[in-house]
Amino acid sequence: MRTNAIAHIAPIKPIRKTRMDVWFDRFNLVFWIVVLGLVLYPLYLVLIASVSDPDAVTLGKVLFWPVDFSLIGYEAVMQHRDLWNSYGNAILYTLAGSALSVAVSLMAAYALTHRFIGKGLINFMIVFTMFFTGGLIPTFITLRDLGLYNTRAIMIIINCVSVWNLMVARTYIQTTLPLDLYEAAVIDGANHFTYFFRMVLPLSGTIIAVLCVYYGVARWNDYFTALVYIRDRSKLPLQTILREVLAQLTTSTSSDAFFSAYANDTKGMTEAIRKAAVAKYCCIVVSTGPAVLLYVLMQKYFVKGVMIGSLKG
Amino acid sequence: MIKSPVRQPYIPGLFSARYWKRVRIRLANDWQLYVLLVPAIAFFIVFCYMPMYGIQIAFRDYKAVRKITGSEWVGMKNFQTFFSAYYCGRLFANTFLLNLLNLLWGFPIPIVLAILLNQFDRVRLKKFTQTAIYVPHFVSTVVMAGMLYLFFSPTNGIVNHVITSLGGKSIYFMVEASWFRRLFIGSEIWQHSGWNTILYIATLAGINPEIYEAATIDGATKWQKIRYVDLPHLLPIATMMLILNCGSLLGSNTDKALLMQTPGNTSVSDIIGVYVYNMGLGRAQFSYTAAIGLCVNLINFVMILSVNWISRRVGDTSLF
Repeated sequence: MRTNAIAHIAPIKPIRKTRMDVWFDRFNLVFWIVVLGLVLYPLYLVLIASVSDPDAVTLGKVLFWPVDFSLIGYEAVMQHRDLWNSYGNAILYTLAGSALSVAVSLMAAYALTHRFIGKGLINFMIVFTMFFTGGLIPTFITLRDLGLYNTRAIMIIINCVSVWNLMVARTYIQTTLPLDLYEAAVIDGANHFTYFFRMVLPLSGTIIAVLCVYYGVARWNDYFTALVYIRDRSKLPLQTILREVLAQLTTSTSSDAFFSAYANDTKGMTEAIRKAAVAKYCCIVVSTGPAVLLYVLMQKYFVKGVMIGSLKG
Repeated sequence: MIKSPVRQPYIPGLFSARYWKRVRIRLANDWQLYVLLVPAIAFFIVFCYMPMYGIQIAFRDYKAVRKITGSEWVGMKNFQTFFSAYYCGRLFANTFLLNLLNLLWGFPIPIVLAILLNQFDRVRLKKFTQTAIYVPHFVSTVVMAGMLYLFFSPTNGIVNHVITSLGGKSIYFMVEASWFRRLFIGSEIWQHSGWNTILYIATLAGINPEIYEAATIDGATKWQKIRYVDLPHLLPIATMMLILNCGSLLGSNTDKALLMQTPGNTSVSDIIGVYVYNMGLGRAQFSYTAAIGLCVNLINFVMILSVNWISRRVGDTSLF
């Protein structure tokens, strides 16, 4: 009878919203539409400006959609040799650097999930660096004395481990791979190495993806390291070159030095300045595109992985 | 019934042979863990602890040819020079104000966003929103500064086009000192407040849904749920973030300030980090700038410890 009784109960109607809640939801919807606009519009503006006609951009006609579609800016960017050279450097530094970072962090994170003699000391040593550092100048001098100044190596190994990422990875491994699993594996004859390579790595896909994005984007976006440690122009990464193009106060003519290839005659010069107006937007698209794309592709793992890792972090 | 004797765990004395035997066995079992840790430890030693050892140049007169340890001791001279310099106060004030204002504006916004996102009732739009608000975080500092220069340019910038078309006068945003902090903090908020919601959203997602159900049955409105469920749950983590942030109130976002510094706004954009960079690397005043760096580091360190101590006393949340 009892089962019958339950079967007769109508599905529970959701509780009707109070009038306050209706207004709350309306307010919330409006709020988020405004926020989305504020967040996305600048990015959208860059995108449409990069494919518009330079004159329309400088006159401020490009507001909601591309005006007089043209790829003239991208053409100018394509011909800029320094930019592409630095683009190659940035790819090298990012790939090698993040591969190293992820490997080192993951190994350390795994080790820190176990108990061993001296763990407290090592933990302290790692966390302490979050709160106290040598500072820019002592670090610079130390690394210069080690012969790392102006080498590609430093662009790859500097900032190799971020304490925060290490902790996120450790928390993730702790929560997804319980110690029981390790004990079971030990009974089957595993040691730390085999367990790490055959159990931890295959099961940590999510956190590896997250670390790749964190480290990769940090490296791709870093210009300051190169500003401090690199002298040769041929070794500079993209962002440092971009700085010259984008982030210097330019009067109308000097923007420019950047497109000086065209400046053989006055006609070439004015044309170069005209192009530079959109080429800047194109540079932004070309340089930011990969980072954003990587994030959007990894997005699926991202939210989940970051959340597991950051809880109790 | 006979009580079975409680077995005491055997704790061998520090100097007994059995203690060392245990240590040996544990080391033999765990040596692979140490191997896995070696690269990370090596990194921290070379890139964090060796520079800390190099801090001693703050008390020396560093000459490149004589290396760090061969240079002459000068005691507190470098510190005295800095503290008696006329720009010292300005540097501290600029750095502190920039960070404080940034904290005041930037700290609450992610919490508000996280709470409102958590209450957002349109599932698909919510997902899209969550993805979208993280995107600006992936824009580099250089590009961010570049966008500011482009959008706020007095002649071609879209902002000034809008201002003039509404009948206003165009403003030299990047040059005027009064605009530096607003643009700096505004762009910080644009870039990072979405990203900084992650922690809070994770915390909110971890709240037991039964609590919300109980609240609904008790007739709580959404405001009341936010007030009596969300906020108390967010308090510990928010306190932790606040403590962490207080540890960098004199820290410098050098790379961004360097990009946004123009001749017109140096009176406010001259912050400690930029000064250290310019004097240290630009003019090779290594010892002097190392001393400045050390001061700032120490102040930050003391600040984080004291805020941590206070918050442990007052609200029992603390980092350590």
